[in-house]
Amino acid sequence: MDERPITFAEAINEALKQSMMKDPEVILLGENVTSSWRPTTKGLLEEFGRERVRDTPISETAFIGAGIGASILSMRPVVELMLVDFGLVAMDQILNQLAKTHYMSGGAVKTPLTIRASYGGGTSSGATHSESLYSLFAHMPGIKVVVPSNPFDAKGLLLSCIRNDDPEIFMEHRLLYDLKGHVPAEDYVLPLGEAKVVQEGDDVTVFTIGRMVHEAIQAAQELKDKVSVEVIDARTVVPLDEKALISSIEKTGRLVVVDEDYERCGFCAEVTAIAANKAFEYLKAPILRVASPNVPIPYNPTLEKRYLPNRDKIVSAIKSVARYA
Amino acid sequence: MVEGAKVKNEKLLEIYRTMVRIRTFEKATRELIKKGVIPTRMGFYTGQEAVAAGVCAVLKETDQIGSTHRPLGHLIAKGCDLKKLMSEICGKETGFNKGKAGPYHIFDPSVGALGANGIVGGSVPMVLGYALAHQLRGDGGVAVAFFGEGASNQGGVLESMNLASVWNLPLIFVCENSSPDVQTMLGHKINYPQISVDKISSRALGFGMPGDTYEGWDVMKVYRAAFEAVERARSGSGPTLLEFKVHQLTGNIEGSLEFFEDESMWDPIRRFRRELMFKGALNEEEDRWIRTSEELKVKEAVEYAIGSPEPNVEEALRGVFVEE
Repeated sequence: MDERPITFAEAINEALKQSMMKDPEVILLGENVTSSWRPTTKGLLEEFGRERVRDTPISETAFIGAGIGASILSMRPVVELMLVDFGLVAMDQILNQLAKTHYMSGGAVKTPLTIRASYGGGTSSGATHSESLYSLFAHMPGIKVVVPSNPFDAKGLLLSCIRNDDPEIFMEHRLLYDLKGHVPAEDYVLPLGEAKVVQEGDDVTVFTIGRMVHEAIQAAQELKDKVSVEVIDARTVVPLDEKALISSIEKTGRLVVVDEDYERCGFCAEVTAIAANKAFEYLKAPILRVASPNVPIPYNPTLEKRYLPNRDKIVSAIKSVARYA
Repeated sequence: MVEGAKVKNEKLLEIYRTMVRIRTFEKATRELIKKGVIPTRMGFYTGQEAVAAGVCAVLKETDQIGSTHRPLGHLIAKGCDLKKLMSEICGKETGFNKGKAGPYHIFDPSVGALGANGIVGGSVPMVLGYALAHQLRGDGGVAVAFFGEGASNQGGVLESMNLASVWNLPLIFVCENSSPDVQTMLGHKINYPQISVDKISSRALGFGMPGDTYEGWDVMKVYRAAFEAVERARSGSGPTLLEFKVHQLTGNIEGSLEFFEDESMWDPIRRFRRELMFKGALNEEEDRWIRTSEELKVKEAVEYAIGSPEPNVEEALRGVFVEE
């Protein structure tokens, strides 16, 4: 395959473009999606026209609802949330309608909508512009939750989301948009629910997702002469690749779960519970979580740095579990 | 004004029959709730039949509606099969949705009934999407959002009016105002008003679309208003807000198997029947035939539902995703 280095944002743009080229029923709705300074949707208006690429009013409930309705009539809408935090004003449409309709209808109706949402801290944007929130969506049965960490995954997973018959929320970390990686120019899909071992190791498993994959890799690098760390990128919260988790714990016996979302009742808690239930006999150490504290995200850059999970916090968690023989 | 004046007798009788069907079906449903066959309580549509029947008489099977938690009128008027409908309400495997929806979440895509909704105003934003799909496909289809006066204050409903208007969607907002005189909620006279205007339809002005208020107990007024709004939507001229004043009639169903009728002037069926008879479009014998045949259909639906199997218990855990 013809691979070139492109950014995370360009990979998303390419997935949107290729899906819209292949299928005239793919449409894009969202706030400012036709703005030329937005790299993920750049050029789509020019190529596909204003019928299919629509700027919406700042009305998340209405335009997400419109996306759901169009998907029920078997279109393939992609709806963009400028920030995932803004999805909170549309929770009825997302959690009551989008998530439940396929089940409630006994399969009579499908809702193949993809919600793209940018997320994440580290830009000093304060508590309603920095959240991750994927655990919130994962809590409600019926939505697949996809959190890519690199351009290759972003393109393949987004194409998969758009073509999949289920609804997804596709989360894009704001600090990853400029990250470059090798991406095939061709159209390709990656399965949802398959984690990826991004670094092999024998002593400690770090199970993580999204931007935290990069912090975890740095932590593993820092410790490489002392602890052999296996870093796994879950890639999707729902479905969660339990097999990858359990087989890694079988090898290492120690688990650190790293996640940018709030710690309580979140991704970390879920992964920890699965490990405790299904990999108990392999565990040699307590499972540790490195996540955002159960506190709103502070604005001040120094406070935010103190707050967010990062390489140093992961390093110290790995060291703690590595002490157990 | 429209074909209103020359609506054929055949069409009038079809609308009348739909209204009778809705009431007969709801009566049977109430009885099954009393008997414990239906495992829930639910919202009824008795007294509002003219709105569903009048509006849906203008629609095609390929048009869609979004409904409410008083859904039976809308679903029946849109053409839902009575057997599958009653089975769904009874929670049976043969229901539209395998017994997982119940009355508040019924979806029947085969006739565009998409769908009942347990959240007040919850279906309205989705109706935008039905209309958007028609607009993009250029197929001339329209979508109707049914909601009540309570939902008219929901943010999603108001947002939807704005979006429908700025995108010029082929959509008709149908607000059934069931407390047009005294503001009530679930029969309780509330101590602060919930509607800030005399006419909910006047809110249309704020969203740049036409809107007016009609007597929802007069089915011909409903039909004419809907006809005009649907024509407007089909021709690409955009959305309309129709407000219909209605009165929910509870009536007495104790021990009587006779056709349930409210004596008040608000009963749309009684009113329409008199009008049809006055016009010579219906006589006593024909009326009896319509009522009897609808009762028979409903009876068959009840028997079908009662005789249908319960869903497999494992079905409880299936079907969250298409690709599980």
